Amino acid sequence: MSRQRLGLALRRFAALAVVLGLWEALVRFGVLNPFYMPAPSKIGETLFALFADGDIWTHVEATFGAALLGLLLGVVVGAALGTAAALLPRVGEILDPAMTVMNAVPRIILAPLFVIWFGIGIASKIAVTFVLIAVLFFFAVYSGIKEVDQRLVDRVRTLGGGRAVLLQEVYLPAVTAWALSHLKIAVGFAFTGAVVGEFVASSRGLGYLLSFAQSTYNAALTMALLLVIVVFVFVLFGLAARLEKRLLRWR
Amino acid sequence: MLDVSDLTLSYGSGEPVLEGADLRVEPGQFVSLVGPSGSGKSSLLRAIIGLQQPSAGKVTLGVERPELGMLFQDDALLPWRTALDNVALGLRIRGKPRPRSRAEAEGWLGRLGLAGFGQRFPRALSGGQRKRVALAQVLALEPRLLLMDEPFASLDAIVRHRITQDLLDLVEGKKISVLLVTHDLEEALVLSDVVYLLGQGPRARIRQRYVIPIPRPRDIMKARTNPSFAPLLERLWHDLSAEVGMLRRAA
Repeated sequence: MSRQRLGLALRRFAALAVVLGLWEALVRFGVLNPFYMPAPSKIGETLFALFADGDIWTHVEATFGAALLGLLLGVVVGAALGTAAALLPRVGEILDPAMTVMNAVPRIILAPLFVIWFGIGIASKIAVTFVLIAVLFFFAVYSGIKEVDQRLVDRVRTLGGGRAVLLQEVYLPAVTAWALSHLKIAVGFAFTGAVVGEFVASSRGLGYLLSFAQSTYNAALTMALLLVIVVFVFVLFGLAARLEKRLLRWR
Repeated sequence: MLDVSDLTLSYGSGEPVLEGADLRVEPGQFVSLVGPSGSGKSSLLRAIIGLQQPSAGKVTLGVERPELGMLFQDDALLPWRTALDNVALGLRIRGKPRPRSRAEAEGWLGRLGLAGFGQRFPRALSGGQRKRVALAQVLALEPRLLLMDEPFASLDAIVRHRITQDLLDLVEGKKISVLLVTHDLEEALVLSDVVYLLGQGPRARIRQRYVIPIPRPRDIMKARTNPSFAPLLERLWHDLSAEVGMLRRAA
């Protein structure tokens, strides 16, 4: 790390420390009510306790499992439908308006319905995540194919390329680029879907813990859980960003 | 090599842009087509490569389709392929194995002054370098007839001068026949054996055919000092002005 960047990191870290210190002091001196606003040290303690007894891992696993399965399923189905809609006009004329409506609806409201249909297990969480991601990826792939640079298509044709070459050399890379640039958004969506699904009804998962913490008015636990979720999403974000950078190094 | 006879082109059922055009390219000849904007110059090229159906007349190609090369102003390279793979693409489409395609592509990049640039993505190349890659891509397929529509119009003067000279050297050396569409009269004179002047559209007609007696091989700077250059340019300029002026009077 260069000196400049090290300095910047130090200043940012110092700013964070000041904010946390101030917060801690305000609670200690009784300005902030710890019932609503527990001190950072208290949140840290709760966090430590969560991981110390190892219970949290089953919840992390449940949420991760639902988020990633829903993500995978949503990407595959969304991409397949998007491809079909872009290449087959008969499919496109139906799916385009249907998906536009689905896109306008805040799809998270379907969560209670999915609990009724699929029960309080992992299936309803996967369904919520799936429906969030599938619509997103439908449009990523659909527009990716439709808005492919016509000059590239013409160029490959004049070089003698047929459908197979066009698909491999033009459409597939173009769509991959579009899809990858949506991957980070999708990761966020996946966790929203899983956690909200657990919120509505479940017996496991970070969303379940969160809802438990809320119903017992445990602000420290709530904040600790929020922190856990944020950190996990950030890690996945980082992975998605690295994948994007690697595969799109031509950009 | 190429025989266009009595060709009429129109868009839809509208008035023809171009009417009764006769044009020939003999083997090894460099032929240019000049004319004002809207005279159907580009449409004529599109008709030759079969992208546009003529409403009358016919185009006779003296070469097989794969021996026909094309270079257009807005040609695009595949952004996700390196310069080398872009050049090799046409060869691979023709069924040459990848290692051999790459080796040949490397040679063509070298011939066009881009040795060592093969691993770069188009984004990391300048406009002139990208044009050279596009040129290498077309020349690597060893065309016997090359069609070009203002391929270097977007480049600045010095870059354009160099790339034009390199192209001329290769075309003369390999005895490639060329049909160039341009609105640059000097460029047409310096490069060509024969220049055709198209009148103002709609219903544009070929007005004149000029034979340019400058000896080959040519240097595009020295060609301007040939005694026949100045009088020819003046005639061409006069004839073109008369065409555009006729339109003005008619309006």
